[in-house]
Amino acid sequence: MAAAAPAIEIPAPRDSTAARVLRFIARAPIHLVLVALGALWLIPTFGLFITSILPASASASSGWWQIFSHPSRATWSNYDTLFHNSGLITALKTTAYIAVGNTLIIVVIGALAGYALAWLDFPGRDWIFVGVVALLVVPLQMALIPMFKLYDTFGLFDSIIGIILFHVAFGLPFAIFLLRNFFVGLPKDILESARIDGASEIVIFLRLILPLGLPAIASLAIFQFLWTWNDLIVALTFGQNTQPITVWIFGQLREFGTSIDVIAPASFISLVVPLAVFFAFQRYFVQGLLAGSVK
Amino acid sequence: MTRTRIAIVAAVAVATALLVAGLAGARTSAPTRAHQNLAVSGSISFDGIWTAAEATAFGKVIAAFNKVYPNVKVKYKPVGNNVPTVLATAIAGGHPPDMADIAQPGLIKQLAQQGHLKPITYANATLAKNFAPAWQKLGQVNGKQYAIVFKAANKSTYWYNVPAFKAAGVKAPKTWAQLQSAAKVLKSSGTPAYSLCGASGWTLTDLFENIYLRTFGPAKYDQLSEHKIKWTDPSVATALKTMGQIVGDTGNLAGGTSGSLQTDFPTCVTNAFSTPPKGAIVFEADFVGGAITSATKSKPGTGFNAAVFPAIKPGPNAGAVEIGGDLLVTFRDTPAIEAFVKFLATAPAAEAWAKIGGFGTGNKNVPASIYPDPITKATEAPLGTAKSVVFDMSDEQPASFGSTTGQGEWGIFQKFLQTPKDVSGIQKQLEASAAAAYKKGK
Amino acid sequence: MAAPPPSAEPGGWRRYLTGAFFLAPAMFLLVVWLVYPTIYTVVRSFFGQQGYLGTWVGIDNYRHLFTTSTLTTAIKNNAIWVAVVPALVTAFGLLFAVLTERVRWAVAFKTVVFLPMAISAFATGVTWRIMYQQDPNLGAVNALAKTVKGVFSPAGVLPSALPSTSNVVPANGGLILRTPLHPGGVVVIGLTAIAPDQVPKSAVQAVEPAAKAGDIEGIVWRDFKPGGGKPGVVEKGELGLPGVTVQLHDSAGKVVQSAKTKPDGTFDFAKVPAGTYKAGVGAQTFAKPFGGYSWLGPSLITPALLIAYIWIWAGFAMVVIGAGLASMPRDVLEAARTDGATELQVFRRVTVPLLAPVLSVVFITMIINVLKVFDIVLALAPESTQSNANVIALAMWRTAFGGQNDFGTGSAIAVFLFLLVIPVLALNIRRFRREV
Repeated sequence: MAAAAPAIEIPAPRDSTAARVLRFIARAPIHLVLVALGALWLIPTFGLFITSILPASASASSGWWQIFSHPSRATWSNYDTLFHNSGLITALKTTAYIAVGNTLIIVVIGALAGYALAWLDFPGRDWIFVGVVALLVVPLQMALIPMFKLYDTFGLFDSIIGIILFHVAFGLPFAIFLLRNFFVGLPKDILESARIDGASEIVIFLRLILPLGLPAIASLAIFQFLWTWNDLIVALTFGQNTQPITVWIFGQLREFGTSIDVIAPASFISLVVPLAVFFAFQRYFVQGLLAGSVK
Repeated sequence: MTRTRIAIVAAVAVATALLVAGLAGARTSAPTRAHQNLAVSGSISFDGIWTAAEATAFGKVIAAFNKVYPNVKVKYKPVGNNVPTVLATAIAGGHPPDMADIAQPGLIKQLAQQGHLKPITYANATLAKNFAPAWQKLGQVNGKQYAIVFKAANKSTYWYNVPAFKAAGVKAPKTWAQLQSAAKVLKSSGTPAYSLCGASGWTLTDLFENIYLRTFGPAKYDQLSEHKIKWTDPSVATALKTMGQIVGDTGNLAGGTSGSLQTDFPTCVTNAFSTPPKGAIVFEADFVGGAITSATKSKPGTGFNAAVFPAIKPGPNAGAVEIGGDLLVTFRDTPAIEAFVKFLATAPAAEAWAKIGGFGTGNKNVPASIYPDPITKATEAPLGTAKSVVFDMSDEQPASFGSTTGQGEWGIFQKFLQTPKDVSGIQKQLEASAAAAYKKGK
Repeated sequence: MAAPPPSAEPGGWRRYLTGAFFLAPAMFLLVVWLVYPTIYTVVRSFFGQQGYLGTWVGIDNYRHLFTTSTLTTAIKNNAIWVAVVPALVTAFGLLFAVLTERVRWAVAFKTVVFLPMAISAFATGVTWRIMYQQDPNLGAVNALAKTVKGVFSPAGVLPSALPSTSNVVPANGGLILRTPLHPGGVVVIGLTAIAPDQVPKSAVQAVEPAAKAGDIEGIVWRDFKPGGGKPGVVEKGELGLPGVTVQLHDSAGKVVQSAKTKPDGTFDFAKVPAGTYKAGVGAQTFAKPFGGYSWLGPSLITPALLIAYIWIWAGFAMVVIGAGLASMPRDVLEAARTDGATELQVFRRVTVPLLAPVLSVVFITMIINVLKVFDIVLALAPESTQSNANVIALAMWRTAFGGQNDFGTGSAIAVFLFLLVIPVLALNIRRFRREV
């Protein structure tokens, strides 16, 4: 990797209006493309939202675009019904414990492991890494039975910590894969100089790796949070009274009728939180974190 | 607790039960004035299919139970269609729930033979008091009682669009011949007669089973169900040809053949009862009513109505009833569980749910007046009085033949919908699939 | 970028210890939750169906796998998934990540693309199932197709009508009355299978036309009254069909006159020269409206699933690659630019190679996700096409948990999946290693 350029400050030219307009026009194709793609991407989600504010009979008789010709059909009653159910709040709380808990744990464990596999030397390191990535293949379903028996033996059944550990374990292959590959791309000289200065690995990890690796850690946090937020099968199998929101929604579906008037609003209520997490963390994808950062 | 005390409590409990049962036969709802039994305590974990409104309704049953046994806590976990997964995992993992609600007698037979279920012979007396022998038999494996059919669905019904029938000038058909002529007139009137739910294979098997039952009677039905006669038997060919009069009438199917294959249950129901309707008749069980009211604006009586599945051959078979239902089983045996099981066999348990609607029971002590509306009464009351009742055949089969998506009966009947003329080919496929499933013992 | 090779410097044993300490928690979790179940699964695949272990059956389960058709469709489908999805998802992600770098409202766009990831797989499956419905009235995709098609081939007024008597027969997409006509004759064409709401609002009671010398009179009406009525006879309660174009064919088959029916269904061919004629209704009256593509049918179900899946996962690729872009050292790019490279060259020669580790994470993760794909197929494909859309993970699920509870065969399928992935994995890791 190239050494950092000497820090000579060249003052940027003053932005004239003409220059700004020219730049905007030059970028116009990009804007257009993005707007078109964005609109296309939004349609299904928009459709789901409209469905959530239509009564079930309206959704069954005609497509959601009927909202444009018959706006009076819109109603908040689907949301009302959901919110008046006290189970929703409890379910949201349980989901928060599980999602936040396992995300925090996996970030720590994954970053430690990722750093070790990226920058610490020991024999067999690369093989361990390949083995961890290979574990990405293990499908969740096959672990259900052996883990059920194990949980039962150790009394972890129907406990939040049991569900959390399951999620952490299954998220680790991806977490380690992502963070290790990311850390490997960090500038070697920074680490070398820190080591030469006599810093211990823990200090390097805390003071250098974590801050520099923030974008990757942020994206890992986003995904792990939202995958565990939306998980159904683990909570269903390993919980009895512990009911996160996915299990709770599942318990609201009718056996012999359409349940779109439950699924649609519940999906929107449920997606607010992962979306908020996304907003909170994506500002860590800041440019130029590494510019001129040789100590 | 001293022996005398136990005896007194037991006597009071029995007397109260008799009193309640007697009153239930004479009045609408019998409030449980039983003396509370505080001695039995414990908790019961219960994994069940019922969700949403049905779970709430079962909560009322539990509440009625707690009036008599306030110290027993029943923890109901709604699992919906994931019951097989959750149950299979739990059993294999060594920690099944105390009780479960299973819709397939075939699965119950398997579990009993593997020794996972506990017999409920302690409830035999209560069962005998409340259910006809045909109903008790449904919950037995090799003569031993393992399950109660708690909630039953009358599958020998069909539902029709009232305005469409009126516009076409047809009456709800009572016989097969009437059905055929009504279907012709409906087609001319511009509304296809049949709204089939081809994407849900189980609805096609239900149609076949009703036809077979009404043509050949419960005895032969049971023989086919136990694989004592093969699917290549000529009786099966006759039933398939009769069924072909419906599924092969492509101009009369909502959406045609390909549309029917992609329409699942309950979409076929909404198709038949929205405005304008895409079809006029839905062949399915009593739970269609709930599906209609949850997704359409159609009203009972003026918009939709139910009728008994048409008779095919006159005689005793004309009125036979096929049911689907929920059987309750136990994985453990504790005083709390025994109390709950016995309670569930009594009329108050059934009435607690029946009066809300969407519930049918074979309990002969539940009066027809408990049902909340005329349509429910018409479809559920026959259950209590039915002397000959058979269970949904596909639910009695080994799961890989009778209740697996895209395979076995479900998949092959979908093929039949595509090629209704190939009766012998379909028969061969059914027999091959059944033989494989029975051989593997699953 | 290859990590530095292990070195044998003094104090190296300290590094080993630290390495072990850093790795320990992860290794513990991985071994207990992933390695142990894997070993259990491999062992279990040699045993029978039920229970925690069951009875030994040797390689029976594997034999069963390859002799039944359950897996062949699944393997073929997974191959399609692997070939299409990871490449497209990574490409979309890269495109979006790069484009949004230059735009100030990047956050809004990123949110829109990310949204599908935040919705549960089950809800997404339901949403797309509704969008793909064949009925253009209900399914968004077919509604769009219908609008486009409707411009070119508009639907007829009576798409489902059928003749009520046997002397009216189909001809060239329309209908023709077989009885030959002469001037002064009367044409009677009754139609059924017309829903009440399809009858034009201006329709009134049908009237039997009276013969008129020199003309040919006729009627086209809805030959149905409650109960059926008498076919071919105009009865009270039966409505005429206005607006239908009737054509008069001469003996050579050429259309010599056409007329439109009035509200009571009658029409009139005026001043017809002597000869033999036949009357009929044109094909455009019966043009069927676009019925919708069968997205959920056997042939299109896998492409339909692929589209929905890419819609979900492009956001994942975009976010991860965006993170990689964000922490790229700007100085290298600047150096390349000042050296005179164009944007495209900078992109190809500098950006992409620097992004290689991140790109490989996305690509490889997608390959593995796609080999394991399960819940979207379960939620989106209707029952009747589940077997056409079958994938290996779903087949495993069905076998192990779908009612037959055959854990032995289910485990065998899982082992087969492991074996399938290893070479794919090895190939791709090596490929990305080489590019760096």
